[in-house]
Amino acid sequence: MQQPGAVRWPQGKRGCMALAFDLDGPTGDAMLNGSLWSTPEYFTFGAYGPYRALGRLLDLLRAFHLPATFFVPAWVVEQWPQQCQAIIEQGHEVAYHGYRHESFWAISPDEQRAVMAKSAEVFLQHLGITACGFRTPSGDWHAETPQILRDAGVIYSSSMRGDDRPYSIPVAGHTPLVEIPGKWEMDDYASLAYTRQPDFPKGGDRIASYAHTRDNWQREFDGAMDEGLCLTTLFHPKISGQPGRLLLLEQLFAHMTARDDVWFARCDAVAQWYLQEQQHD
Amino acid sequence: MTEPSRWPLGFQSAAILTIDFNDIHGILTQAPAVAGRDKTLSVWRYGTLRGVDRLLALLAEKQLKASWCMPAIVAEQQPELVQRIVTGGHEIACSGDSHEDFSLLTLEQQIASVTRGCDKLAQITGRKITGFRTPAGQWKPGLAQALIARGIQWSSSWRGDDLPYFHPGTRLVELPMHYTLEDEPYFAFNLSPAIPPGQSRIAPYGETLANMTQDFHGFHRFGLCYLLRLHPEIIGTAGRIGLLRALLDMLQQHNVWIATAEQAAAHWQTQPDNDVCHPAEVFTRITGGAHGELA
Repeated sequence: MQQPGAVRWPQGKRGCMALAFDLDGPTGDAMLNGSLWSTPEYFTFGAYGPYRALGRLLDLLRAFHLPATFFVPAWVVEQWPQQCQAIIEQGHEVAYHGYRHESFWAISPDEQRAVMAKSAEVFLQHLGITACGFRTPSGDWHAETPQILRDAGVIYSSSMRGDDRPYSIPVAGHTPLVEIPGKWEMDDYASLAYTRQPDFPKGGDRIASYAHTRDNWQREFDGAMDEGLCLTTLFHPKISGQPGRLLLLEQLFAHMTARDDVWFARCDAVAQWYLQEQQHD
Repeated sequence: MTEPSRWPLGFQSAAILTIDFNDIHGILTQAPAVAGRDKTLSVWRYGTLRGVDRLLALLAEKQLKASWCMPAIVAEQQPELVQRIVTGGHEIACSGDSHEDFSLLTLEQQIASVTRGCDKLAQITGRKITGFRTPAGQWKPGLAQALIARGIQWSSSWRGDDLPYFHPGTRLVELPMHYTLEDEPYFAFNLSPAIPPGQSRIAPYGETLANMTQDFHGFHRFGLCYLLRLHPEIIGTAGRIGLLRALLDMLQQHNVWIATAEQAAAHWQTQPDNDVCHPAEVFTRITGGAHGELA
C-alpha cells in the first residue's frame, strides 16, 4: 500500500472522486427467497430504479459532465436492456454486481463462478461489453472470491471498507486485484432509504434530513479531496434518484464540481491508473 | 430537464391530498399488541376526536378538496364526523370493510371486504365510491379486475412510479404512493408497545417540512404527480398542522393542479396504456400473468 503523500493522481489533481451507483432494481433478498413474487408493492418500489429514476440521473450526470460507474445485477440488464444501454451510450461504465444480487458470502465458490459467467454472458448479449469491475452485493465475500474474480477477467473490486485509497489484493497466478474501498457514510441507504414489509431500517428509523445528508456528503468529499484521497459512493437510483433527492444530488454535484483540483473518474479508470502507478514504483 | 406537460389546463404538475382516516383500526391491524390498551389507543383516537376537524378547517381555509380513505367500520362508528367530511365537498374512498390485513385474506375474502366496504360507505355517505386504498398487506392476483367490476376507478396502493399508471390488463388507474410523502414514517410514535419497533426519535418538524418541500420541487420540475398521504392523528395536531399549512401555501404558489384522486384518475384515462417496461407490466409478465387475466 502506498504511504500518505505518495499518491499521484492524473492531470496533477489533488484528489480522486469515483462516483458509483448500484442499480439493483428489484433484485436482492426478496427475489432470492421468492417472497418478492407476492409483494408487487415492493417489486415496483425496486423496479422504479432502472425504469424511472435512471434516466433522470443520467441527464443530471450529463449536465455536470460527470463520469460514473454503475454496478448492475445482470438480471436488471435482462429486464431493462434499453435503459441500461443508455448508461453505456452516455459514456459511463457498467460493472458486475451479481445476477440477482446474490451475497457472495452466502454462496459457494462454484455458484460464484456461475454468477460471474452468467453476468458476463448477459452483458455481452445485451450491452455488447466485457466488464472489468465488480462490487460484491450485500458486502462480504469468501477468501476464494478474489481468485474467482481475476479468473473471470475482473481487474478491480469496489466491495470493501476500511481505507481511503485503492489498494492491492494479491491473487495467485494473476496480477493483483485492485480494491477501491467504499464507506457506509457515502451509502444513501444509511440516511435516506425507507421501506415497509420488508422493513428498512429494521427498527423503522426516520428518513434523514436531505439538507443534513447533503452536508455530511459534502464534508466527506471535501475531507477526502483535501487529503488527496479517493472517494467512491454507494448510491442507488431507486433511493437517491427520487425527485426530491435528485435535487439533493444536483446540489451535491454543484458543490463537487466547484473544485478544480479533483480527478473525476470511472472506477475502471481509477483501477487502470493504480495498476500503472504500481508498475512504476 | 422538464418533461412535456401531461396535465390539463397547462398545469406543470399534479398534487393529490389523500388522508387515511382509520381511527384505531389501522393501528390494530399494523400492531395487534395495542388491542385493549387505552392509553396507546387514545394516540390514534385523537384523529377522530380532534384531528379530522382541524384538517377540515385547514382545507376549507385553503379551499382545497382531499380524498379521504377509510374502512367502512369508521364511517359506521363515526357517521356524523364522516358526514362533515362529505359536506366539506371531499371525496370518500374505501379501505375495506374493517381494515383487514389483505395479506391474510384469499382473493374471495379481499373482494368481499371491498364489496361490503363500498356498499356501506355508499349507504352512509350517499355517494358512489370509486376509489380504493389497500388497508394493509398485498393484493391477491385478480383483485384489479374485481375492483373494476365493482365500479372502482382508481387505487392508491402500490408504488414504483412518480406518475399514475394502469394495473396491467385493466384501465384501473394506480396513483402510486411514496414513503417520503407520508407523515407516518416521520412522526408516528408510541413508547410501548414500541412504534416504530426501534423507538426511533420523532423526526424534526422543520427538517421534515424542508424534505417534503424539496420533494415537491423535484416532482414539479419533472411534471410528476405529488401524492401526499396524511393521517388525522399525526398531521392534525396543533403543533403539526402548521407544517401542512406551510406546504399547501407553497404548493398554491406554483402552477400545480391540486386535484382529488377521482379527478386525477379520470384525467389519466386520456393517457395510453403502460410502457411494456413499466414495473407493473414486468411484474405481471414474470409472475406468469398471475396478477393479470392469465391466472
